[in-house]
Amino acid sequence: MTNMARYTKSFSLRLLCSKQFIFVIVGLVFIAVLPLIIDSEYVISEVLAPMLIFAIYASSWNLLACSGQGSLGHAAFLGIGGFTSALLAIKIGVPPLLGLFFGGLFSAAIGFLIGLTCVRLKAWFLGMVTFGFAVIALTLVSQFDSVIGGIMGFRTPLIVPRGIFFYYFTFAMAAISVLIIYLIMKSKLGLAFKAIRENELEAKMTGINTAKYRLVAFVLSTFFAGLAGGLYAQYIRYIDVSIFSPHFSFLPLMMAVIGGLGTISGPLIGSVIIVSIDAYLPRIDPLMQGFVGSLFPAVSNVGPPIRMMLLGIILLLVVIFAPKGIHSIIDRAYVYLMNKRAAVRQ
Amino acid sequence: MITPSGLAETLLWGVANGCIYILLATGLSIIFGVMKLVNFAHGQLLMLGAYIAFTTSVVLGLNAYVAILFAMVGVAIIGFVVERLTFRKVLGTEKLNEIFVSLGLIYIFENVAVLLWGNKSAQISSSIPGILSLAGISISYDRLAAMGIVAVILLSIVLLMKKTKIGLAMQATSQKSDVAKLMGINVEKVYVFTFALGAALAGAAGALYGIIFPFSPTLGALPTIKAFAIIILGGLGSIPGAVVGGLLYGIAETTAGYLLGGIWSDAIAFVLLIFVLVIKPTGLFGGKGD
Amino acid sequence: MQKKILVAIATIVIIVVIASAGVWQLTQQPTPSPSPTPTQTATSTPSPNARSIRIGLVAGYQLAEGQDMDRAARLAVEEINAAGGVYVAEWNTKVPIELIIVDTGKDTAGETVGPITRAVVEDRVDLLIGGYTSAGTLAGQVVAIENRVPFIITGASSNLVTRRGPQGNFGGLAEDDARRISDAEGMSYMFHYCTTTSDYSTTVVNFFAETMKPLLDSTYHFDSSRPFRLALIYRNDAFGKGVVADTKNLIATRNLPIEIVAERSYQTTATTFQTDLTVIKDAKPDAVYVVDFIANTAEIIKEGRKDVGLNTVYIAVECCEDPQFYTLLGEYGDGVLLESKFASYAGPPFYLPAIETYVANYKAKYNTLPGMMGADTYDAFYIAKDAIERAGTLDKAAVRTAIEQIDLPQMLIMTQTGTIQFSTGTNYHEILPVTFVEQLIYNATLQEARPKIVYPSTVPVVGPIKQADFVLPTGYQPGSP
Repeated sequence: MTNMARYTKSFSLRLLCSKQFIFVIVGLVFIAVLPLIIDSEYVISEVLAPMLIFAIYASSWNLLACSGQGSLGHAAFLGIGGFTSALLAIKIGVPPLLGLFFGGLFSAAIGFLIGLTCVRLKAWFLGMVTFGFAVIALTLVSQFDSVIGGIMGFRTPLIVPRGIFFYYFTFAMAAISVLIIYLIMKSKLGLAFKAIRENELEAKMTGINTAKYRLVAFVLSTFFAGLAGGLYAQYIRYIDVSIFSPHFSFLPLMMAVIGGLGTISGPLIGSVIIVSIDAYLPRIDPLMQGFVGSLFPAVSNVGPPIRMMLLGIILLLVVIFAPKGIHSIIDRAYVYLMNKRAAVRQ
Repeated sequence: MITPSGLAETLLWGVANGCIYILLATGLSIIFGVMKLVNFAHGQLLMLGAYIAFTTSVVLGLNAYVAILFAMVGVAIIGFVVERLTFRKVLGTEKLNEIFVSLGLIYIFENVAVLLWGNKSAQISSSIPGILSLAGISISYDRLAAMGIVAVILLSIVLLMKKTKIGLAMQATSQKSDVAKLMGINVEKVYVFTFALGAALAGAAGALYGIIFPFSPTLGALPTIKAFAIIILGGLGSIPGAVVGGLLYGIAETTAGYLLGGIWSDAIAFVLLIFVLVIKPTGLFGGKGD
Repeated sequence: MQKKILVAIATIVIIVVIASAGVWQLTQQPTPSPSPTPTQTATSTPSPNARSIRIGLVAGYQLAEGQDMDRAARLAVEEINAAGGVYVAEWNTKVPIELIIVDTGKDTAGETVGPITRAVVEDRVDLLIGGYTSAGTLAGQVVAIENRVPFIITGASSNLVTRRGPQGNFGGLAEDDARRISDAEGMSYMFHYCTTTSDYSTTVVNFFAETMKPLLDSTYHFDSSRPFRLALIYRNDAFGKGVVADTKNLIATRNLPIEIVAERSYQTTATTFQTDLTVIKDAKPDAVYVVDFIANTAEIIKEGRKDVGLNTVYIAVECCEDPQFYTLLGEYGDGVLLESKFASYAGPPFYLPAIETYVANYKAKYNTLPGMMGADTYDAFYIAKDAIERAGTLDKAAVRTAIEQIDLPQMLIMTQTGTIQFSTGTNYHEILPVTFVEQLIYNATLQEARPKIVYPSTVPVVGPIKQADFVLPTGYQPGSP
């Protein structure tokens, strides 16, 4: 490698470190200031707030995946968190804010039990078992309908009023959650997770108690998933068994993978992308119906199936061509630009 | 109310339903055994098989049972394309990638089906209506035919694996793929063939399913889970395991529904799964190391 | 030095993003609704403020029923606009209806909130029509309530959608906050133009008690004290459980001679029902009440008759009144009963003239026969038109009051009084629909069954509607004596 290249490379590395910090600060300020610029109640409540909620949810899934455990049933914990927080507030009168945390805690407790069965399982088994647990959770909640009332569902008591208050509340929750997850991933715990994900056998040989760490990852992940569930119940202002559906299990996976599996910003990027698609693409549905509707006479509205198919295709493309997600594409572009700038400077 | 004849019928249907699951599970098991690949979109291949059979029987006016062949060929082609374009690229990378690819495929298959055939339920009209009734127990001819066809297909698979060159190559690859490569076996060709074969089996299962039950684009998810439960019960990579597992599962499903109530029929797959995995993580028939 | 460049780039990026966000927002800002000018002179020149009426159709397009609602809505809007539109006195002119599609996917609770919010807050609809599932409607209606948008709910089998009560808490605002909407006021914007679970069950149990039981008793020489043996098989969700609860309640309160001999439920994702049917067969019922949507009901009936050998009378719920039901059943539809409120297949000639024209127009435009959900939706558009014309303005509170005071002759859905009126008592903003029972008879040419109304003989206002006598299906086996 030439001297110039080596020089550029080390500069790039240092830039990367400081860049992260600045971006984080800028990002936080940006999110805080956003509602003052965007004057639309709809965008604040229905686009930005869910982005934050799903950022937590996707990050929780991401944390688990960092330890090599790809859960296909995270909706179970979303639902447990949601129902617990809502029921505690309604039936026992626990203040909804406290209920939110208890929702997360209870979800983590269940996560502990499920984690126990999962720690020794390989990826596909774990996927199956976690998916199965979501089905069992749905069945159980349906079975105890007379107590829980989840089949018809019910309105959830709110912590803060809708709109801008809810936005800032969710922002605070998301910032704290992502920060904690960041600290976990950067700590020795996070390194252990990474090692297990890369090669479990080797990790074991270096003395890591893989079962213990996998269980810890499970508990931490399900706590945040439960928290996200409570927030989701706040956002929709309703909760019923549909929260246990496979769709909610696959969403955090898609967000984390498309954004960048294993990174901190990956789930955030994924959340922004997917929530935007769901919020804005429906506007062109009438256009799409006009253009291609006649090709598909069997459906009245071609928009939604095309959109979902698009998500599947994006997922495939990301996994095959850019396994580190959109985050890596942004990174590569940035480094490329910085290198060019540094090269021009020399 | 539980009666002996009720129980007997329940067991009989368990077996009949189990047959379709067996076909699905065998396809999955073969793919896993040879390629060590797990495809969560397998149930969607069943769904596509049902739709292809439906379309050919309606458009070409063919007998429902002849349409099975079309379904098998059609889905095999889809399997071929899928393997070459997607799974091949992620084989060898971390296992999670296979799960992600499967998920992407699920979304694609389901929504393509919705675009082409709509959201409504469809059913393939059968060519042998009627029921056979013996001693208070009845079963439709369709189900009996399905059992027979499954048996025929399974036998052919066994013959294929044991007697043909490609079958032996598959067996060799499943045991030690690096050694197989050294022996001159074109492993890539074997992989693509295996996947297409597994897909064809799913297509056949779909065509049979479509004659007996109504189906819609969202069909795929549950059969996949059931197929997985079966091969885990029976041991990954083992065909006899898939057969026994399929029958056991079918019986467990109907019996659970009979005794505990209909809402437990689906969940039973997972309860069983978790139970087996906790006790014997390699499945009832222990399988090759996973 | 590098850091400064970094900061500069970051600042530029942020400014660009914020600027484009702002621009995007500005381009999205719809033209503000014109405020009504109080000084309206008695001229006949149309007001320059006139604009089209934005009505949001809340339907789940991933469901076949949602697509039926879409077609019916478009037909209604086309008809109304072809005649010039809706007359708004305030503007001295007729204005057309602009149909805004609010696609709620499968209409689950999570899927309705977003689209309805966008319709209310961004598209600024004047009125909403639709809704299908109870949970989805309950979740999604909150936004409409908070923004005081009249919502004519044409689906949802539960009367909770218009129930006033301790559900308040809209917006999570404190009791003394001026922006908080009281439950009474908020719910006043909700109207339920649909049958509820008790409407279905009432007709069904009355039919069994009044018509089928006497027929059984005389045919099989049962003692009249023998109770009618009814089995229930239902999907385990709010809809299924609601119907079952109402059925049992009605039997108890009216002291009907009906005994529930078997009761089986299954998960909404089930596709096969043999075990449940076997248990029911062993309980030897006289009839089976199947509570589910089209695909599963057809499957249950087919499996029951074909596979399990349960040769009894099956009665399906009105949501099965749809072309797909007849197609899926095929020959196994023969003798099957269907509780219904809109019989698009039982004619021509139809029991109601409005149905003749609707079916003919729908068929001409879409080449298929209409289903039940669309009928409610179609009527709702005419209800909206009538209300707006009587209110003379698009002011939502005025339109709401106008809907509440409606007194139109019935259209596609029959009512007990022959008029469309919304109740104002505890059972709030509901209608009094008439439901009836049809029996399907196989038609070899069509290779499908077709219905004939068998109960009741007459209904208020319309008079006699019975088209055929109820007969026991071929091969029928009664329950145990």
